[in-house]
Amino acid sequence: MAGDFEPRIVGFLCEWCAYTGADLAGTSRLKYPTNVDIIRVMCSGRVDPTFVLKAFELGADGVLVCGCHPGDCHYSEGNYKAGRRIPLLKMMLETFGVEPQRLRLEWVSASEGEKFASIVKEMTMQIKELGPFRSENNVEALRKENPKDNKVTATSK
Amino acid sequence: MKKVTIDPITRLEGHGKIEIFLNDDGNVANAYLQIPELRGFEKFCEGRPVEEMPRIVPRICGV
Amino acid sequence: MAKLKLALYWAAACGGCDVAVLDINEKILDVAALADIVLWPIALDFKYHHVEALPDGAIDVTLFNGAVRNSEQKELALLLRRKSKVMVAFGSCAYTGGIPSLANFHNEQEIFQRVYLETPSTDNPQKIFPQIKTKVPEGELELPSFYDTVFTLDQVVPVEYFVPGCPPTVDIILKVVNALATNSLPPVGAVIASDKTLCDECTRKKENKKITKIYRTHEITPDPERCLLEQGLLCMGSATRGGCGALCVKVNMPCRGCFGPPPGVTDQGAKMLSALASIYDAQEEEGLARLLKEVVDPAGTFYRFGMAKSLLRRKRPATTEVGTR
Repeated sequence: MAGDFEPRIVGFLCEWCAYTGADLAGTSRLKYPTNVDIIRVMCSGRVDPTFVLKAFELGADGVLVCGCHPGDCHYSEGNYKAGRRIPLLKMMLETFGVEPQRLRLEWVSASEGEKFASIVKEMTMQIKELGPFRSENNVEALRKENPKDNKVTATSK
Repeated sequence: MKKVTIDPITRLEGHGKIEIFLNDDGNVANAYLQIPELRGFEKFCEGRPVEEMPRIVPRICGV
Repeated sequence: MAKLKLALYWAAACGGCDVAVLDINEKILDVAALADIVLWPIALDFKYHHVEALPDGAIDVTLFNGAVRNSEQKELALLLRRKSKVMVAFGSCAYTGGIPSLANFHNEQEIFQRVYLETPSTDNPQKIFPQIKTKVPEGELELPSFYDTVFTLDQVVPVEYFVPGCPPTVDIILKVVNALATNSLPPVGAVIASDKTLCDECTRKKENKKITKIYRTHEITPDPERCLLEQGLLCMGSATRGGCGALCVKVNMPCRGCFGPPPGVTDQGAKMLSALASIYDAQEEEGLARLLKEVVDPAGTFYRFGMAKSLLRRKRPATTEVGTR
């Protein structure tokens, strides 16, 4: 099962550092998994938690957010906001049963192509182990269910 | 057995239905009250901060 | 104008929305003049078979409160949808799931286990759980099937209007009654409250949104003049639709978001989380650790009234799909 599952990871990379770093990984011809779909944002501080949740709702198995190192943000404070938002979101997601490895925040500078490649490699491997993220789209199941066709209810064990 | 169903019961807070079984003489053989609702406050209040209880548990009954 | 046919129904509810309608006091006479009520279990004796006997579309407006969390509630939502021209999701539970949707952190098995076995005042030595079909000497009894997940009304049937609030305030209810009386309902899909956030109605002084600590409500006595969020209380006002008159804030209690998200916001909890992280003043590890410690129940606070409307909707995984096995 772990063999044929290919995780789909959405990556929000900031324009100034992280995206350039990922680009460097490419131009350096580094080999790394293709499981991350990259979305370029101007700043990691632009990443609204809604984007992360929407990604999971639409079928992502993991979300990666990469920004400039603390102190290096092109907009001074954006990455500090991301640095609080993403961990807080991660903490909240655990109460939803979402494993912490599925949401990852990393600082990647423009020269850290190798770092980016190794993050993607590691995250892909971890999520492969965890399996697909099951989006609880049971609204559809509810709509299809015939109210008269009730099955058994919970039993005490 | 003839069955008379009262569904829903009315003019009180909450959901309920009554099934009345009549014997051949038309008298009540037995009657059952069922409550077809459950929300589970006993469970979902667990893990919530204690100071939030006065804001959550009044929603058990708005009457 | 001929009298409207009006139905009021409650699903996974507490009765508060029904009582709120009665809270309009003498204006209930205006409602009686305007409409014939064909279903209102809290107040009138009409049964389900009376509704079934009506022609489809005969009911002009149904005010449906309460969330949908069992098959009977779903059946009634479908029945009333068929029989009604206009369906209104009335109150937080029908609109966003409400307090009952906090049960989305659990599943049927966990809830039954606690309710019917583990609670201290329960005496159930035979470990009986309610069953969908129960044989008794005289015949068979039926109960609805309990879902793992709580749904909003519009996740079950199409809904024309949404009236937020836990419960909707008298002003909001009167807005609805007036709209019906003068045949001036807003465009379909409208949420009948303010189009701005609660902050717009809140009269507190707003100065500088930068906090260094988040307090639980019992830890401080807030200054009644200043913004509660600025004082470190977790007030949901900035991520909540206005229209309630800031009732909670007026009594020094931070908003808990019962009016749902403001216009344009998909996920209320995510927005509040984002706002909180933005204004919390911490740039290093130690500050972050403090923030994570101080937000004691993120999901239960940010989604207090809106779990069923959140993007993730419930804790994964459910035991089954919709309680079927």
